[in-house]
Amino acid sequence: MNEENKSPEQAPETEVIEATPAIPAGMFGALLESKGIAAEHLGNDAKGTEIIRLTAEAILKAGELLKGDASSKLDMLLLVTGIDWKTHRESVYHLYSTVHYHSLIIKIVADANDTSPSLYPVWPAADWHEREAYDLMGIHYEGHPDLRRILMPTYWLGHPLRKDYKEEDPRLVWNRR
Amino acid sequence: MMSVKELNPELQSNLPGVSIETGFDTNDLVVNIGPQHPSTHGVLRLVTTLNGEVVKEMEPVIGYLHRSKEKMGESRSLFQYQPTIDRVEYLSSFYDHLVFVNCIEQIADIPVPKRVEYIRVICLELNRITSHLLWFGTFLLDLGASTPFFWCFRDREEVFTIFENLTGARMMYNYFRFGGVNNDLPAGWLEEVRAFCNHFPDRLDEYEAVATKNPIVMDRTKGHGIMSKEFCLKYGVTGPALRATGEALDLRKTNPYSVYNELDFDVPTHTGCDTYARYLVRVQEMRESIKIIKQCIDKIPGGDGGALAILKKEVEAKTKEAKKNPEIVVPPWDKDWDTMGKKINLLTYKPPAGEASNFVESPRGVLGCYIITDGTPKAYRIKWRGASFSNLSALPELMKGHMYSDLMAIFGSLDVIMPEVDR
Repeated sequence: MNEENKSPEQAPETEVIEATPAIPAGMFGALLESKGIAAEHLGNDAKGTEIIRLTAEAILKAGELLKGDASSKLDMLLLVTGIDWKTHRESVYHLYSTVHYHSLIIKIVADANDTSPSLYPVWPAADWHEREAYDLMGIHYEGHPDLRRILMPTYWLGHPLRKDYKEEDPRLVWNRR
Repeated sequence: MMSVKELNPELQSNLPGVSIETGFDTNDLVVNIGPQHPSTHGVLRLVTTLNGEVVKEMEPVIGYLHRSKEKMGESRSLFQYQPTIDRVEYLSSFYDHLVFVNCIEQIADIPVPKRVEYIRVICLELNRITSHLLWFGTFLLDLGASTPFFWCFRDREEVFTIFENLTGARMMYNYFRFGGVNNDLPAGWLEEVRAFCNHFPDRLDEYEAVATKNPIVMDRTKGHGIMSKEFCLKYGVTGPALRATGEALDLRKTNPYSVYNELDFDVPTHTGCDTYARYLVRVQEMRESIKIIKQCIDKIPGGDGGALAILKKEVEAKTKEAKKNPEIVVPPWDKDWDTMGKKINLLTYKPPAGEASNFVESPRGVLGCYIITDGTPKAYRIKWRGASFSNLSALPELMKGHMYSDLMAIFGSLDVIMPEVDR
C-alpha cells in the first residue's frame, strides 16, 4: 500500500503494534486476558473510554463474560457503528454499565465477505442497530434473526455510507439530467 | 385461532379495568397506522396485527424522515455541517450541538471556559423544559385533552423568545462552537430567564392540578405499558422511561459532564414502571431543570452580559494603550469570563486525527455522537445515537397483548420523535 492510499485506520494500528508494551491493558482488557480471551488493546479514545479489538471467534464468549462478570457488568448496548476503512469494514460497539456507570468500546473487523458475528444473542438491543449498520454499510451480521434494511427502502441498491458508493441509480430523478 | 389468553398470558393480568372476552374467536386483522397519523409525532408507520381489539403483533416501519445526516457529515466540513445538526432532533437541538462540539473539543483538546459551560447548561435545561412541555401537551392531546396543548405552547413560546434573544433563532439555534459559544449573553438576558424560572413552577402546578390526578388520565395510564428494568436494558431504553422503573440512571449524575457536578439537583425516579410513572418522572424533571437553571444564574462567572461587555471593551482598549504606556492599569479580567476557549478559524479548521464518543442525557434518554476525524476539515465518520431509536425498538414487544386504544397513550409516553429515529 502506498502512502497516499493509506487509510487513517492504518496509522494508529501500526503505532499500536510498535508500542504494544506502552499501551497497558485497560480494566476490561485485563479482565478478558485473565479469562484467557485474547484482546487487542487500542488505548483510549479522546474522552478516555477504553477501546479493545476482538476477533470474530472470541466476541460472543467475551460478550457473555463482559455482560455477566460482576466487575464489568456491561449490560447496556448503546450504539453499533459500521465504519468503512476502504480496505475493510469494521463494527464498533459502545457498551455501558448501569451498575458501575463505565463504558467500553469494542471493535470487530469484518472479514473479506463483509460478514461479522452478530451480538444479538448477548445484547438484544443490537437488533435495530445492526440492521442499520447492514443497511447503510453493508456488513452482514451472522446470527442476526432478522437482517433487513431499516432506514432505506427495501428496493434500494447498494449501501449509502460506503466510501465508494455512487448515486448512479437510474431511478433517481437527478441522474436523468 | 388463538385466544387472547394464549397470546400473552402474563400481560392479561396487567390490564386493570379491561375485561377481555376470550370465549369467541376473532379473525386477525392487519391495520396500517401511519405514516401520516397525527399521533405518531412524525412519520412513523406501524403495521399492526390485531386480534379483535388486542394487538397481536406490531412492526414499526421507519425511514420516512431519513435525511442521511451521517452521510452529510462526511461530505461537508465540520463548520458547514454544524447548522444541519439542529435538524437531527429539532425539539432539543442544543443537545445535539453539545455532543458534537464536545467530541471535537476532546479530539483537539480545546479548553472550554467556565462561563461557556454555564451558558450551555442554562440553554440545555431550558431546552429540556421546552421539549418536555411539548411532550406534556401532545401526550394529553393523545389522551383526548386538547386544552393543555395550548397552555404548553404558550409557555414554550416564552422560552423560544428567550432563545431568540440569545441566538437569533427560535428552534434551530446553531449556537455552540468548538470551545465556546457564538456570542455572549445579551444585556438583561439572565433576568429574562430568572423571570421565567420564577413563574413557571406555578404554571406547572396549574397543569398538574388539571392532569395529574385526573381520573381519565389515571385510568388510561396507570398499569398500562409496563416496562421492567430488564425489559429496558434488553432494548437499550433510556431516559425517563428507564427512570420510571426505579433505576436512577441519569448521565448528568452518574457520568457528570460540563459543570453538572457543581450543581445540586435530584434525579426523579418512580417505581411504577407504567405510563403514569413515566408521566410523573417527566413532570418532576421540569421542576429539577428550573432548580438547575436558578443555580446557574447565581453561579455563572462574569454575571450578566451587559456589564461584562462594557468591561471587556475597556480591558481591550486599556491593553492596547498599556503597550505604549506601561503606567496604565488594565482592569482585571478572568479567563473564566471568556466565551471562547481558543481562537479557531472555523472556515479552515482541521481537527487532528482521532476519535471520540460522547453521551449526554437528552430529554429522551442517552443521546450520543461518535466522531472519527482523519486530519482533514471533514469528519471521516459521524454516527448519531438517538435515544428515540432504541426507545422505539421496544414498542412492538411493549404493545403485545394491549388494547389498540392504548397504543397512542403508551407510544406517547415513550416520547419518541421521528427525526431522531431516522436521522
